[in-house]
Amino acid sequence: MSVFNAKFYDFMVHLPDEMDSVISLVSAAKEFGYSGIAALNLKKNRTDMNQLPKDFSIYNAIEVSGKPSKLRDEIRKYKDTGEILIARGRNEEVARAAVETERLDIILQPVKFNNVLGKIASDNSIALGFNIGSIIHTRGEERVRELRIMRANLMYARKYDLQMVLTCEPYSMYDFRSPREMAALGGLFGMSLKEAVDGMSTVPLDIIRKKSTGHIQEGVEII
Amino acid sequence: MKTLPVLREKKRYIAFKIISENTINRRELTEELFDSMYSLFGDKGTSEINPALMSYDGGFGVLRCQKDRTSDTRAALACINRVGGDCVSIQVLGISGTVKGAMEKFIQQSIIKETELEKD
Repeated sequence: MSVFNAKFYDFMVHLPDEMDSVISLVSAAKEFGYSGIAALNLKKNRTDMNQLPKDFSIYNAIEVSGKPSKLRDEIRKYKDTGEILIARGRNEEVARAAVETERLDIILQPVKFNNVLGKIASDNSIALGFNIGSIIHTRGEERVRELRIMRANLMYARKYDLQMVLTCEPYSMYDFRSPREMAALGGLFGMSLKEAVDGMSTVPLDIIRKKSTGHIQEGVEII
Repeated sequence: MKTLPVLREKKRYIAFKIISENTINRRELTEELFDSMYSLFGDKGTSEINPALMSYDGGFGVLRCQKDRTSDTRAALACINRVGGDCVSIQVLGISGTVKGAMEKFIQQSIIKETELEKD
């Protein structure tokens, strides 16, 4: 059985403002083989869920950003809302503040990840996000830099046994790539096929499970 | 003179579908495809992949590559996001050992599926 028979999710989707564009984005995601997405602005743009396919799951995600102190407050504010919390590791200070705060789900593409951050992220069960969209939308020197960052992050993720999440960060229906293409792009910086598939299926499903109302902490769950 | 069968390089044919606002012509697609490959793998890598656009009708196409470089070709196709100012997305339908196989197994099937969906 092919490893690509799993359910795939993309956890960093920016929904367009118009409802027609949202419908075409969701149908494109479905056509590309995704079973669900986590949208960053689901509440803000008041998406009518009745117009979307029933067999497609849409979760709410929040991108926490700002100065380290504000970032910690934001994570604490949203920690029990059941929304998927994502922080972008723009610099070392922000990445450190993000991984040190429990209940964050994903630290996306940290620029200067190191052994200290890797250890903390591992202790707090924070997944490491790889933004494949940055390979697709950049060229030349910028892409070389992104690939170098991802190669280093992959090394730390393997060393500290961190969960990995892959996203193509789509803004429109043209930004989606199928899971096989995502795995092929992951191969450019040394990610194995199994790691890539897990990063789009097993790990997102695990994050969804953690965010469910019955889940209290690792090993404790209300049945 | 023909290459000896034992020395012949094994090839694979990738059937793909273009999703875009406007129709993309063959010349523009070929240019963008090679540009994407040069950018990702350089001249040496592209020569090893040995790509060639075998067939293209504006919506579907078949791309040739070396047997052991299908993953790299997929990556290069995935990196194409804009052709001639239009946003595009290339969806790989499948990989076959022959052009005929790629056309019959993936492109024709995809067209049949699309017409059935339109009827519904």
